[in-house]
Amino acid sequence: MVRIRPEFSDQIKKFGGVDFNVCYNCGNCTAVCPLSENDNTFPRRLLRYTVLGMEEDIQSSSDPWLCYYCGDCSETCPRQANPGEIMMALRRYLTASYDWTGLSKKFYTSKAWGIGSLLLISVIVAMLFAFFLPFSADPAGMINEDGGVMINSFVRGIEGERFVRIIETGDLVMAAIISFFLISNIFNMYLKIVIRNRKKVRVPVSLYVREAWNLFYHFGTQMRFSKCEGRSYWVLHWLLMSGYTLMFTVIVVFLPWFQTEKIHPFYHPQRFIGYYATFGILLAIIVWSVGRLRRSGEIHKYSHKTDWVFLIMLFLTTLTGILLHLFRINGMVHATYYTYVVHLAILVPMLLVEVPFSKWSHLAYRPLAIYFTNLVNKAADSGKNGN
Amino acid sequence: MSQDNEKYDAIVIGGGIAGQESALNLADSDQKVLLVEKDLSFGGKMIHLSKVFPTLDCSACITTPKMSETARHPNITICTYSEFTEIEKLPDGTFTGILTRHPRYVIEKDCTGCQDCEEVCPSVVEDQYQYGMVGRKAAYVPFSIANPRIAAIDIENCILCGACERACPADAIDFTQKTEKTRVNAGSVIVATGFRLFDPAVIRKYGLGKYKNVVTSMQMERQLVPTRPFNNVLRPKDAKVPDNIAYVLCVGSRDLTIGSPVCSQVCCMYSVKQGQLLMGALPMADVTVYYLHVRAFGKGFEEFYQQSRGMGVKYVKGKVGTIEEKENGDLILRYEDIRDGSVKEETHDLVVLSVGMLPNPEAGSLFAGNALELDEFGYVRQVDMLKNPASTSIEGVFVAGTASGPMDIPDSIASSGAAAAEALSYLKRKR
Repeated sequence: MVRIRPEFSDQIKKFGGVDFNVCYNCGNCTAVCPLSENDNTFPRRLLRYTVLGMEEDIQSSSDPWLCYYCGDCSETCPRQANPGEIMMALRRYLTASYDWTGLSKKFYTSKAWGIGSLLLISVIVAMLFAFFLPFSADPAGMINEDGGVMINSFVRGIEGERFVRIIETGDLVMAAIISFFLISNIFNMYLKIVIRNRKKVRVPVSLYVREAWNLFYHFGTQMRFSKCEGRSYWVLHWLLMSGYTLMFTVIVVFLPWFQTEKIHPFYHPQRFIGYYATFGILLAIIVWSVGRLRRSGEIHKYSHKTDWVFLIMLFLTTLTGILLHLFRINGMVHATYYTYVVHLAILVPMLLVEVPFSKWSHLAYRPLAIYFTNLVNKAADSGKNGN
Repeated sequence: MSQDNEKYDAIVIGGGIAGQESALNLADSDQKVLLVEKDLSFGGKMIHLSKVFPTLDCSACITTPKMSETARHPNITICTYSEFTEIEKLPDGTFTGILTRHPRYVIEKDCTGCQDCEEVCPSVVEDQYQYGMVGRKAAYVPFSIANPRIAAIDIENCILCGACERACPADAIDFTQKTEKTRVNAGSVIVATGFRLFDPAVIRKYGLGKYKNVVTSMQMERQLVPTRPFNNVLRPKDAKVPDNIAYVLCVGSRDLTIGSPVCSQVCCMYSVKQGQLLMGALPMADVTVYYLHVRAFGKGFEEFYQQSRGMGVKYVKGKVGTIEEKENGDLILRYEDIRDGSVKEETHDLVVLSVGMLPNPEAGSLFAGNALELDEFGYVRQVDMLKNPASTSIEGVFVAGTASGPMDIPDSIASSGAAAAEALSYLKRKR
């Protein structure tokens, strides 16, 4: 028995869905979707759930994460009900529904919360620098033998190694906060998709182990994405993902190796990783921003405000990163310091807000959704075979 | 342009079943009618159909007598291969316009329709009256039950060899004919320009044109008539008799991607009809209809639909998403079965796209300055659909049949009767 809640669709509209009520359930979207398979048929079913307000069925569904928004469904939809966009809106909604703090929903549905939280964290980071790590060294003594700025020696009385350790500690604190929220949200997702699964099956422990490779495989390759038409889009997304992940790992885990006083030659892995990541991220930002501005293709037709916040924050982070690098290798001491602070005052709020609560979380949710889906489907299959 | 204005009580534009019905109604009431048909033969779409739903009456057996009656009526003048355009309303409430008669390069009164020219003509092109399934000559009689049943030279595809001219026993071939324009006046105008069939080649995922065994419903219709091209139902790629035929409904109807949001009203029922005819023509064949909603709304329609189910036609709810061709020419249809929400792939050896109706854009450009208003869908706007369904935005101009919107044959004929009655009343009032 299902209780119909038409008011639910108004709620979804805040997450970005448009015109989905005109759907006449022909199933064209599901049939043209290159990723829709029999165990998981979408987008029509999800669209139907949304129209009827079947909240629990949506929350326990992993289907929105299995869609990579190639836009074929929206393009060929005879009612122009934008099934692709409803899947996007549902991904935002699911991100909010996994988040037990309720912050995610606020970030998605309220402009004030979205921008306010970013600004607040930004100010806090800047204040921390102003109070605890203010610029106080002798600028003349900060140029090393390569002519570059000694990036870890801004503060008088704190030598390089200790400075890096302080920043690293800050990184780890940030990572701990992010992980705490993200992992608890993932647990919530796990409860909804696997424990309270819609096929009503129990997943045996051995299956978790056997299917684990899927998680890493899909995280690393995003192979499902490449099934969508237009492989260039997948390549671009992969460049961004790999660059971003690489950079994130290096900053959080290998900071002493990455942020050195010595300026290495440009082919040194330290610099090479930075260049690779910058290239991938920047290329993706440019292509997607131009796409969104021109509304070219189904995928860029509709932009939620969080899509723009995501692109702008990422762009600012990259831009300040590039400037920081240029100032540093050219020996511009003051510029280097202030850009460093600004860089962190953009990076930290972006990571704190976006990774556990907003768009970046899909980095975790997508491969996990594939993993969880396989668990449920395989458990259901073996159950069927057993009988 | 000749100076003597021809005068009629009414001009009917379009010689399909609607135009003929309007013309006959007016002519029987002693009005002089000019029937203008842009094609080589009048008769419209109906003359090309096999049977009509839901009675399974022979379409040609109803149309041909009506065509003869129209052609022989003393009050009706027929101009085929002609257009009537640049129509203006005069201050006295009558109309004037230009009648353009295109040259068929055959002297109409001399041609006996013997087809000797056709025999000797060396140029072969696609036969538009068989919807491209077979060829015809550049010198040709349009189709066997054409009216007038006389030849024409398709000058676009003619190589000007003169063989037909030499072969013609009646000396009817005349390559010196030119386009003639005459000014014609009339008391009222009936627009019966009909509809345009949707061309599904624009829906690329269905592969019409690319996959040989994807055909339109009109091509299937032609394969089911007595004057059919192959004298059997064959699939185009390898002339195999198909035994697993699929119908894809709502191709070009209720589809905003091609800009046609309205239901064409006839595709469900003609597909139901063709399914039954195929069951008769190919008793071993399976017929599956992929539908969104079967709209069997008219008198006897639901029973007709149930009858086809009883005969074994399978109905599957779900819009076909994509069609792919296998090496042997069979086609794989991918769709979501709405009844259980599963994605399915089914192989068929012939796919029929049930194409819908689109407005005929010519209706809008008949009048000088495009004065005739169209509705939001591109059909002629009915200004008072409930009280005077045939009235248009210009008083004295009436719309008949599918020029005002999709409808089936009986509705079209009823609408034409209304247009004739309203035109008659207009003529009486103005005198």
